[in-house]
Amino acid sequence: MRSILDRYAPAPAYDEFADALGRPRAHYAALAATLDGISWADFRHRVTTVNTVLLQRGVTFTVYADARGTERILPFDLIPRIIAAHDWDRIARGVAQRVRALNAFLLDVYGEGRILRDRVVPRELVFSSPHYEREAIGVRPPRDVYVHVSGIDLIRDADGAFLVLEDNARTPSGISYVLENRDVLKRAFPRLFDGYDPRPVDDYPLRLRDALLAAAPPQVTEPTIALLTPGIHNSAYFEHTLLARRMGVELVEGNDLFVRDNVVYAKTTRGPQRIDVLYRRVDDDFMDPLYFRADSTLGAAGIFNAYRAGNVTLANAIGTGVADDKAVYPYVPAMIRYYLGEEPALQNVPTFDCSDDVQRAHVLARLPELVVKRTTASGGYGMLMGPASTTAERAAFADAIRARPREFIAQPVVTLSAHPTVVEDGLAPRHIDLRPFALLVGDHVDVPPAALTRVALREGSLVVNSSQGGGSKDTWVLAD
Amino acid sequence: MLSRVAESLFWTARNVERAEDLARLIDVTATRSVDRAVDADRRWRSAFGVAGIEPPFDRRVDRASAVEHIVFGVETQLSIAACVRIARRNAIGVRAELTTEVWECINGLYLFVEAHSPRAVGPDGASTFLRSIRDTAQAFGGLCDATLAHDDAWEFLRLGRFLERAAMTARVLREIEPDAGPHVWELVLEVCCASGPFARARQQSFEPNEALAFLALSATFPRSLRFCLHEVDHALHRLSGAPVGTFADGAERTSGRIAASLDFAGANDLAREGTANFAARIARSLDDLGSAVTEVYFPRVPVG
Repeated sequence: MRSILDRYAPAPAYDEFADALGRPRAHYAALAATLDGISWADFRHRVTTVNTVLLQRGVTFTVYADARGTERILPFDLIPRIIAAHDWDRIARGVAQRVRALNAFLLDVYGEGRILRDRVVPRELVFSSPHYEREAIGVRPPRDVYVHVSGIDLIRDADGAFLVLEDNARTPSGISYVLENRDVLKRAFPRLFDGYDPRPVDDYPLRLRDALLAAAPPQVTEPTIALLTPGIHNSAYFEHTLLARRMGVELVEGNDLFVRDNVVYAKTTRGPQRIDVLYRRVDDDFMDPLYFRADSTLGAAGIFNAYRAGNVTLANAIGTGVADDKAVYPYVPAMIRYYLGEEPALQNVPTFDCSDDVQRAHVLARLPELVVKRTTASGGYGMLMGPASTTAERAAFADAIRARPREFIAQPVVTLSAHPTVVEDGLAPRHIDLRPFALLVGDHVDVPPAALTRVALREGSLVVNSSQGGGSKDTWVLAD
Repeated sequence: MLSRVAESLFWTARNVERAEDLARLIDVTATRSVDRAVDADRRWRSAFGVAGIEPPFDRRVDRASAVEHIVFGVETQLSIAACVRIARRNAIGVRAELTTEVWECINGLYLFVEAHSPRAVGPDGASTFLRSIRDTAQAFGGLCDATLAHDDAWEFLRLGRFLERAAMTARVLREIEPDAGPHVWELVLEVCCASGPFARARQQSFEPNEALAFLALSATFPRSLRFCLHEVDHALHRLSGAPVGTFADGAERTSGRIAASLDFAGANDLAREGTANFAARIARSLDDLGSAVTEVYFPRVPVG
């Protein structure tokens, strides 16, 4: 019998599974032993079963280009990613620290502006951010919480050190894959768990609900939470239904809401129901046609006034996008020192801010070695991968950088760590990242051991986004 | 609950019920037409009539055309495939309200139907295929009853299911010609899933009027008009909180009237009015009831 591990050759990057000599790392040893006893044919069979289960459950996203609205599942890789307890401790500490700093930053830039006055973060950088909402200046959200939910994307460099690649402080998605991946893997392949006791992920929705309840307007005694979704055509709609169901809260669309006397209500069969906390998966721009985009039907007219009057908690608060602006990202370590007086537990990837003359000159001279990102883009779009780019592509980016420097940052290519992943004929290393989620509960940050591992399924690819051919893995955080 | 959610639950249940009823209609008609005990062409035309779909004008009306149009028809909202699609589309919009069991059932039904075509079903496969649709649609009802709390959401599902079921029974009766013989009545009973229950309930030898009375007036048979109307009436009263026998809104008033007219009708009254006339009258009042439910619970103008 040919074991599926037989032909695994570690990647020329930090290999999560194998050490420099090709031996399984200590926390992967039990998994390696289990995999050794599984034939490739058996494994293939499990893959098929799992895909059928995911389709039946409707863990799908819609392919918009297809007129029939074909639904696809996000590729789920059956080989779990394992995180040792001591690594997770550091991650959780670093993420919590970062989120506290980001929240303090938001409170500051929409309030006193101390960090700008002290020139720790350039004033013009904040004011020129497309996500800096002028309407939100001076509006203090209930209990001073801005980023109730965030996702911090981490990667691992060649030495195995965890680095922050970017912050997601608006509406990070992906937690449904964490919950479903674990559930499906436990059913389809319980044998893989032999010798492991990963920390459970399924209490995430209740922890989220706790965070939302804690953020309710102080004058409300029994708050009603609702989850606002853009609707069934949104690619994360499945996640919205899952979270609403598991939290036991109403899933509402913009048309279900109306605002009267600065109070938000849902239209129900028994009349209006007051809503106190809205976990909204709708961007700022679409929340209120009276203040933001006038053509939006995804939010409700008057909702911003209700928010300003302190009658409804919006999670996340209006204007958090300035904190995850890619051009602000290089300053987060400075924010941590400034607000918390602590050294960052997780480092940034070295980043050049193209709006700075010196740094821009450096970037333009070294385009073939760098990754250039648009500060306004996400999802793996609008990037220049220097080493893989053509002369024409580099010229186009150079022109764009000179014309609108504020819209670009550049970073050296960081080779993401690699992990055994199922491919056509066995297991091969593929690059991965990690998105832990953080919940801000009052001034305490809860980092549940429920993190998303995304994997770039194409050989050599460093882009893990689902829109760019990425998949996901079950992620086991080990207890001590 | 949200009005939008209530409406989606209502339409989910209506469309699943309709898919189940149509699947049985096609299967029974096909089986009964094989040995020519009935006039096949006439039976297929009335199947199209029950479905509310125009039969193809330039072709024979037969099993193949029924499978093509009533089962898989894409140009209509009324075919089985369309109903399943609409039901699932509505279920997606209320997915947070449904249990995993209920959702996976409707999603499974959709994936099953989408994976088939008239060609894939073939001349001999229709019965098995339709049987699967029926089974899954019935499982949907069972899972709703067994896994959901019997709260307002469930009442809207019940409302949709029994309103549609009553409408289907009325449409089946409406298509019966005055000179219909015992073979046609046997087919109709089977289409309404009533052969066994009717056989046990009847007093004497087979009489068409007796079959009509059973399908319209039985207090205990779950597909009779009267039974369905009482379910609808109860669901409405549970939703409004008003006592049964009174009415709080236009929907309860309409359902109460139809139910009362069936409670106090006798077999002779129906015979005098004529099967088709009686059934057409009930079908019209069920349409009114549907509109009244929409007006009361799913208003187009915002509340407040």
